[in-house]
Amino acid sequence: MTDAVAIVGAAESAYVRHPEVERRTETFLAEAVVGALEDAGIHRDEVDGLGVSSFSLAPDHAIDFAWRMGMRLRWVMEDTNGGASGINLLQHAIRAIEAGDAETVVLCSGDRMEKREFHLMTDRYNRVSRDYLAPLPLNGPNALFSFLTQRHARANGLGREDYACVPIAQRAWAGRNPGAVYRAPMNLEEYMESVPIAPPLTRFDCVPIVSGGDAFVLTTRARAARQARPAVGIRGIRALFNHDQQDSDALTTGFAEIAGELWASAGARPEDLDAAYVYDDYPVMVVCQAVDLGLVQDGDLTRFLRGRLLEDQWPMNTSGGQLSAGQAGAAGGMHGLVEAITQLRGRAGERQVDGAELALVTGYGMVVYKHGACHNAAVLERLG
Amino acid sequence: MSAAFTVDVCSRCGYAAYPPRILCPACGGAEWRRRRADSGMVEEVTVRRPVFKRRQLPWGNWLDQSETWLGSVRTDLGPVVVARVPESVKPGDRVRLHSQASTTIALPGHLAEATSFAPDGAPDAAAHDSAGRG
Repeated sequence: MTDAVAIVGAAESAYVRHPEVERRTETFLAEAVVGALEDAGIHRDEVDGLGVSSFSLAPDHAIDFAWRMGMRLRWVMEDTNGGASGINLLQHAIRAIEAGDAETVVLCSGDRMEKREFHLMTDRYNRVSRDYLAPLPLNGPNALFSFLTQRHARANGLGREDYACVPIAQRAWAGRNPGAVYRAPMNLEEYMESVPIAPPLTRFDCVPIVSGGDAFVLTTRARAARQARPAVGIRGIRALFNHDQQDSDALTTGFAEIAGELWASAGARPEDLDAAYVYDDYPVMVVCQAVDLGLVQDGDLTRFLRGRLLEDQWPMNTSGGQLSAGQAGAAGGMHGLVEAITQLRGRAGERQVDGAELALVTGYGMVVYKHGACHNAAVLERLG
Repeated sequence: MSAAFTVDVCSRCGYAAYPPRILCPACGGAEWRRRRADSGMVEEVTVRRPVFKRRQLPWGNWLDQSETWLGSVRTDLGPVVVARVPESVKPGDRVRLHSQASTTIALPGHLAEATSFAPDGAPDAAAHDSAGRG
């Protein structure tokens, strides 16, 4: 829990499937940063800290982006942890502000992610991907999460129609998000008949690849109070990396180990949540994380999936998540944070969750061989 | 071109690692012995349908992509290996793993290692079968 820091603005550049050639990675990052500063009512020249996460910014780094943006900084960092990069940046930025190293920090993530960039990213994701997976050939983790889904289905007696609840429920939310790339309602029949990618996974179990950027601004509580705009506090934040050395079946995630500490530090329980933003690279991972973080009452998966998510439309991944809004490379690790901040500040328009005061956000990812090695989560609250 | 599949085994504690590590996750040891690990059991199978029909490799040339059958194989020494499999293989099947140098995708100055495997008793036929795919 931190009393010294508040999040005061957030924005997402529109996600697009096929950007014009002149729109580069830095274009999307810049749009998100400018949007977040406008949302916060903070001028660029007040920013003294910048954190960036991107797979495709190279050969530029955070400092080059800062220079292009005309930012003078006292704190700069770059994060490479993909789906866990947003919360990882947040964790570091909180400490920087608490320590007085910076007062106002902008964090941004994004990628131009077209065919060429996508393959560069997946082939050179890490040494193991390059040397042990890409030559099979396997580029991108779809087959790995097909294996994981099969294990999970076997262990829990679930079928495709159960995992379908995640993308179908999220699609219903996406219909109210003008920024989502898939917005048309989806029914079970459409899901069951969708194009196989790595069976049992189909097109609707895999994130649409898009280009875009996300950003948010955080500052001291004192500075935030002067803004007279809604602000968001961080009640708790925890991370765990490489917890199982890739040796487990991955059905129990690293979240199981940190959930107790997270809820205790936040002084909250899962049942207190008004909304949750669970990293949704694949439906099975939403289910695994929900269980390990205590979101599934009595461990009853069918009731959680069919009842809570699908029938009750409990607010989870209210942007439509990455499965409907799209995954803009590293921005996937900030998408949930930006949506949570937007909801807690009461700025989510048609999809606004009434009385949203407390939200959970998770980050997961960086497949080092078979499954993700990075886990982090934050509990956010509306201030004032 | 194919060779028996191997994993690294920690000289100090016997932990079997694949892909290779620097320090042993179990005991912290830094010495490894290469051990043959070519028999195992298939746990899951999928067929990967490429998102894009053609793709450009990092060094510029284009590769036509087709279906690839892939499996998760638990070796008898412990490590689970992601491998290319013949279409006929099912979860629960006992299989033999090979290391295979893939000439179509080797990186400049670096011979990438692809694995494929065959059902016990018919290694040659199945190796040929899987080599022709993808």
